[in-house]
Amino acid sequence: MRKLALAAAGLLALALGACSNEANDTAANKTDDLLASDWETIATEAGGQEVNMYMWGGNENINRYLDEWVAPRLQKEYDVELQRVPVNDAQDFINQLVDEKSAGKKQGSIDIIWINGENFKAAKDNELLWGDFAGKLPNFNEYIDPDALEVAEDFGEPVEGLEAPWGKAQFVFVHDEKKAAEPPKSMDELAEWVKENPGQFTYPALPDFTGSAFIRHVLYETTGGYEQYQQPAADIEDLEQRLAPMWQYLNEIEPYLWREGETYPESLAKLDQLYASGEVSMTMSYDPALAASEVMKGRFPESTKTFLLEGGTLANTHFLSIPFNSSDKAGALVAINEMLSPEAQTAKLSPENWGDLSALDFEKLSAEQQKAMNEVDFGTATLPLEELEGNRLPELSSDYIEVIEKGWMENVAKD
Amino acid sequence: MKKNYLPAKAFLFLFLLMFIFLPFIPLVLTSFSYNWIWPNAMPESFSLSAWDYVLFDNSSTWQAIGVSLLIAFIVTAVNIILAVPAANAFVRYPLRGKWLFEAIIFAPIVIPPFVAVMGIHLTFLRIGLTETIFGVVLAHISPTLPYVVRAAITSYSTLSVDWENQARMLGAGPFSRFYHVVLPHLMPGIAAGASLSILISLSQYLITFIIGSGQVMTLPILLFPFISGGDPAIASSYSLLFAGMAIVALLILDLALKRYYKKKQAAAAIKGVRE
Repeated sequence: MRKLALAAAGLLALALGACSNEANDTAANKTDDLLASDWETIATEAGGQEVNMYMWGGNENINRYLDEWVAPRLQKEYDVELQRVPVNDAQDFINQLVDEKSAGKKQGSIDIIWINGENFKAAKDNELLWGDFAGKLPNFNEYIDPDALEVAEDFGEPVEGLEAPWGKAQFVFVHDEKKAAEPPKSMDELAEWVKENPGQFTYPALPDFTGSAFIRHVLYETTGGYEQYQQPAADIEDLEQRLAPMWQYLNEIEPYLWREGETYPESLAKLDQLYASGEVSMTMSYDPALAASEVMKGRFPESTKTFLLEGGTLANTHFLSIPFNSSDKAGALVAINEMLSPEAQTAKLSPENWGDLSALDFEKLSAEQQKAMNEVDFGTATLPLEELEGNRLPELSSDYIEVIEKGWMENVAKD
Repeated sequence: MKKNYLPAKAFLFLFLLMFIFLPFIPLVLTSFSYNWIWPNAMPESFSLSAWDYVLFDNSSTWQAIGVSLLIAFIVTAVNIILAVPAANAFVRYPLRGKWLFEAIIFAPIVIPPFVAVMGIHLTFLRIGLTETIFGVVLAHISPTLPYVVRAAITSYSTLSVDWENQARMLGAGPFSRFYHVVLPHLMPGIAAGASLSILISLSQYLITFIIGSGQVMTLPILLFPFISGGDPAIASSYSLLFAGMAIVALLILDLALKRYYKKKQAAAAIKGVRE
């Protein structure tokens, strides 16, 4: 009797497994023709689809921009329903897609993902992305230069149309004008400033994304520019020796950091907290307008300003992509195209909505669209767009970042 | 006699104040704060914007609370149905290899859930259980069941078989033996286990996220990105809401328990009059 029950349960499980796999097969073939069809067919097919966008959900402004600006427009104009799914870390949905791939799930619920850098590389290496779709989008073709380095490459990894640029980020330092009237303009000046104002500066501990970016600036400035690192890390034989001045610099300023460098804030959020509560006079951000929006929210003091280094700061692009097993690819294409429209990008630029830099090529916009972008009020804490654009440095590829993160633990944190 | 309790009571009060009540104060202040800059002891001004976002602009909050409670109560009901017979067998039957079964049931306490949930995810993907409330309920059972079984075992080990034998001699069938003799004795243990099961289920993030794949929205799923993202006002509002939800869930359980005892008492009183 007992054996019979066990056997029955086992059979049931097998049957369930078989069913779900068969149901998946037929629908999948249809969507692959999508890349061959024209935009009108895609837009018609998108009508009535529900698109799930998986993205980091820890910022009220960004969430509101999608829920209150993007979603209603998609609904009205294309009858596409955009559902935002908040995620703690982009790594989470990459892992989920890896599992879905190995389990053979062909009708997934993730339709759009927001990624860049390491996550894009992981997704590309594991073949989790649908295909070369960017060239299908009318707004991509009209307003974006596909050959520009910041669009064609994502942290050194060729994009190949697998993702479409959504916005740009650029590293800025944030300071309180009352406490640091003359902000440093280079890493050397920063070191002097730190020594004169002990306890007023620190950076997030690695592997924090922004802390790691701070150190890349130190690398560029103390070891003689970024040009030498435009090749794979493995090709530089004396890499360890080349990195030595960077560790020296970081160890030199360490005793003058917050809490005498005995400990570092574990994340940028913690550093922002220290800055907001007035314990340190500087913080940093990959979002040039973040300081302005924090001032608007009353979290940062009114005297908050941002500054760049004379040698430029790192800039990167963040992208939208479609996973291999998205169930509503037509809807996803329409939604991404809409988010690349000049109107959506101009709204995104405003710190009231989000304050994220536009992904579009300014030169390709009409005079009217250019005017609309120029009229966005950035508040007093944000630098002018021209100043940001003129001081951009390219990112390092992720193989260097691994070396630096490991090296920081050994050379700086442990000492 | 009464005087002897006073220091103990005072100590308990202080303890509750310091470790349970006080930590809530900054949380409440932060959730309403606007412009709270060190070294001010109090925020300079107050704002309702965080609460406004959490409660009204974001319609998914209420839905998430509903889904969280639904899952927690189903999980707890299933746990009780599984745990009572299991505890009965553990305590009363000389099972061979009992330690092995116990080890399997209590393993989720020791093994980090992340390890198990990765494997569960793959299996659930193949049989189509991901992205469903049913799948999330199944996955929540593994970290919660051990606590309910533990509580039921403790209750069973203080219940002598003689009580049931006596009832049997008086002519009670298996169902009324369980309902009138065993269940009243197990009730406090089940209530303790159920409270833990509800609380643990409510606070699951990782398991819900992985098995629900973002399609089953519970409150922790909305809350976590804000904690790590560093918007203290919204994170505090969500945390308070979470605490409120947990307290309400426990109150519901408490109320149900009280009603059960009242009914019992009333029944006993009626019987007493008849006899």
